[in-house]
Amino acid sequence: MRLPIVVKISVFALAVMGVYTYYANSIPQIQSKPPEELSLEGGNVTQEQLIKAGEEIFKGKGTCEVCHRIGQAGARAPDLAGMGARAVKRKPGLSAKAYLIESLLDPGVYLVEGYPNIMPKVDKPPIALNRSELWAVTAFLESLGGTVDVALDDIPKSAGAGAAGGGAQVAELKLPGDPKAGQAVFTGKGACVACHKAGSIGASPVGPDLSQIARIQTPDYIMAKILDPAAMGTVAGFPPKVMPQTIGQTLTAKEYVDLVSFLLTLKGSSATPAPQGKK
Amino acid sequence: MVTRQRDARFHFFLFAAAILALLSAAPALAQEAGKEVAYRAFPLIGSRLAVWAVAQIHLNFAAFILGVPVFAVIIEIMGWRTSTALLGGLFLFILVGFYPKFWSYMSGIFYSTFWVYGILFFLETFTVYLWYYGWEWLSGAKKWIHVCLGVLSNLFGTAILFVANAWVTFMVSPGGIDEAGNLKSLWGAINNFTWMPINIHRIIANIVFGGTIAAAYAAFRFLSASSDEERARYDWMGYIGNFVAISAFIVLPFAGYWLGREIYAFNQTMGITMMGGFLSWLWIIQAILIGVLFIGSNYYLWLGMERIPGSERYRKYIPYLLMVIAAGFIVWATPRSMVITLQEARAMGGTHHPLLGLLGVMSAKNTAVNLMILTTFLSFLLYRRANRISTKPWVGTGMAAQWATFGLAAAVVTFFGVYGYFVESIVRIGFSVYQVLSVLGAIVLVMAIDIPMFRGARSTGTIRWGQIAPRSQYILILLAVTFTWLMGLMGFARSAIRQHWHVYGVIRDTSPDAVTPALGYAANVITLVTIVFLLLVMFIFWLGGLGEKGKEKTHGAVAPAVAAGSGDRK
Repeated sequence: MRLPIVVKISVFALAVMGVYTYYANSIPQIQSKPPEELSLEGGNVTQEQLIKAGEEIFKGKGTCEVCHRIGQAGARAPDLAGMGARAVKRKPGLSAKAYLIESLLDPGVYLVEGYPNIMPKVDKPPIALNRSELWAVTAFLESLGGTVDVALDDIPKSAGAGAAGGGAQVAELKLPGDPKAGQAVFTGKGACVACHKAGSIGASPVGPDLSQIARIQTPDYIMAKILDPAAMGTVAGFPPKVMPQTIGQTLTAKEYVDLVSFLLTLKGSSATPAPQGKK
Repeated sequence: MVTRQRDARFHFFLFAAAILALLSAAPALAQEAGKEVAYRAFPLIGSRLAVWAVAQIHLNFAAFILGVPVFAVIIEIMGWRTSTALLGGLFLFILVGFYPKFWSYMSGIFYSTFWVYGILFFLETFTVYLWYYGWEWLSGAKKWIHVCLGVLSNLFGTAILFVANAWVTFMVSPGGIDEAGNLKSLWGAINNFTWMPINIHRIIANIVFGGTIAAAYAAFRFLSASSDEERARYDWMGYIGNFVAISAFIVLPFAGYWLGREIYAFNQTMGITMMGGFLSWLWIIQAILIGVLFIGSNYYLWLGMERIPGSERYRKYIPYLLMVIAAGFIVWATPRSMVITLQEARAMGGTHHPLLGLLGVMSAKNTAVNLMILTTFLSFLLYRRANRISTKPWVGTGMAAQWATFGLAAAVVTFFGVYGYFVESIVRIGFSVYQVLSVLGAIVLVMAIDIPMFRGARSTGTIRWGQIAPRSQYILILLAVTFTWLMGLMGFARSAIRQHWHVYGVIRDTSPDAVTPALGYAANVITLVTIVFLLLVMFIFWLGGLGEKGKEKTHGAVAPAVAAGSGDRK
């Protein structure tokens, strides 16, 4: 039987596309997932936990490994082996942690000889590490042959202000809730104040300090955390599954929206409108 | 008349699809009235896939249309312009309906350009219809008006492309805004880092794309032909389509380099993610596709030489040309890093193969692609002179100068390719410019010698149009399918480098689709989109075919008949 030309051509075209598709499915399948936010504000994190968190950011969200290697000189960026010990010698008068923080926030200030000025400011988009993450990464870098002595307060308050997302996105969010009524929920029916501090309200160390939660977390995260605390994970340094699972169900719709509106006002004492760096 | 009725049905179908898409968002719209919504979910397949598929098909059609005027005389069907407008409408409906917040931001930045776009689209449609229906009354002394209309339609089409590119490139490399994403300069937003490179890249790619699709259409008609005359005509048409495609294709990689360089200039992180991050394997797939295009294009030329008396004297070079192209293909498709086990890495002494790993870097790949371009040009040159013998007294000198030019260009390309291993990356990037310039310079110089050298040349016989192996026509189809698929892949690359950002660094994608999919998933989508696009093209050609005879009577010469054995060769 003689096949019509259109059939022959169609089969041929499908075979060609099939080969391409098969090949694309047979090579390494790597997805690019949106990075998760890390919050350590007010947490009793151990040094080991901090270093571990920093290493994960180094390999993941920070995308540091794209250029930097540990124990191997890269073509684009210096080898970071022994960085913790070497950092103190880089710039006279600067401690190791101060040098490392400067290198993360303003990498162009000091360039290692032989390397181009290509490193982005890591607290600006698209990497956009928040203060907690900067703290953790600095600790990890200090741990590479040095002494880990960096504290959260060493990270400038203005750093990482744009971590929650694009400025356009933050500026546009409007909730119909009443922050004042939400504060009442926080201290009253919700009993959040029993575990959390929120600016001048409360002082409990049981849960993370929420004084800057609007700066370091997305609205989506805050809302989901109230509705399903376990599913959103636990901030490093705090015991898991302590937050009541039913908190979201006990609130009325209005109370929930009011509470979220209140939490979104918590931008810390040095809070500024979320700036977004651009090249 | 029949065609117009069918066109109308097709347009109605697309319009209905657009309405259905909009209605699918309606329940959500009703529930969310009065509330700001960032995302809505498209039924079954999700919003991302819906936008992706429609955008890519729309882009394919738009690219085809902008490429078509180059050989519009050959292809008479113009009905698809309206189809593209409807696809654009469908795309807009989905974008507005399912990504309202993103759309709100983009329209805030580019609102004034929407008016320009609309006006240009009207002018484009108006001009094209005048051009299309003016074949008869703008003939004779008024022919120049018809030609001007054709040129004008190209200019309007290009302007439309430029406006739309401003929106797309702003998402990749936003400019003209402050740190909070507020508009400071509309021109800055338009003239962002990647705007002009994308403009140039797309113009060239559209010509290639249009050429390959037209050549594939000709191939289909050739294989279906029932007479020698018909075969001759479509053989010639396939050759022209392929010629246009190859001519544009050999400069396309240069535009790609420029685009890549601008991406690095905008943001090093983005550039490194693109070439060395999770997208690095995409360039291996791209290399394979481009390798297929190079080998296919050359093979078609070599097969075409068999219908040219006198070409026998050049056929002995073909194995060597093939070797160069195959070697270039192998180098270009060599990955730098391989996915291997720890044991394999230890046995190999690292993640890179000690020898082959050297071929996986840009120095080697740039050298390979430039030599492939030179070789393809040489193939074309041999084809061009296959049945001609120069009668000029300076032919020996001319030939020597041409070969010297080829040799010098190859030497320059190879020198900078090798030297690139011994310098820093920032210096190495600059070397690609010298390589490109040497190849382009060689092409210009060789042609400048060749044209006068073969003017008035003695013929060794006429081209036997229609007498080409049928497998050559499958090569034309291979090229069209591969290039369409490649466009889909590059569309994915352009979008994927933004990762979890709608507008890079400005609006984060917080939707459930924020994960950038792996290449396998992307390939599945690209294949489906390519199939849908090719089916629509076949449908449109079928519609055109229904009214072909009537149109030929109405418009006069549509596709010039090339008799079998005609000596006329363009």
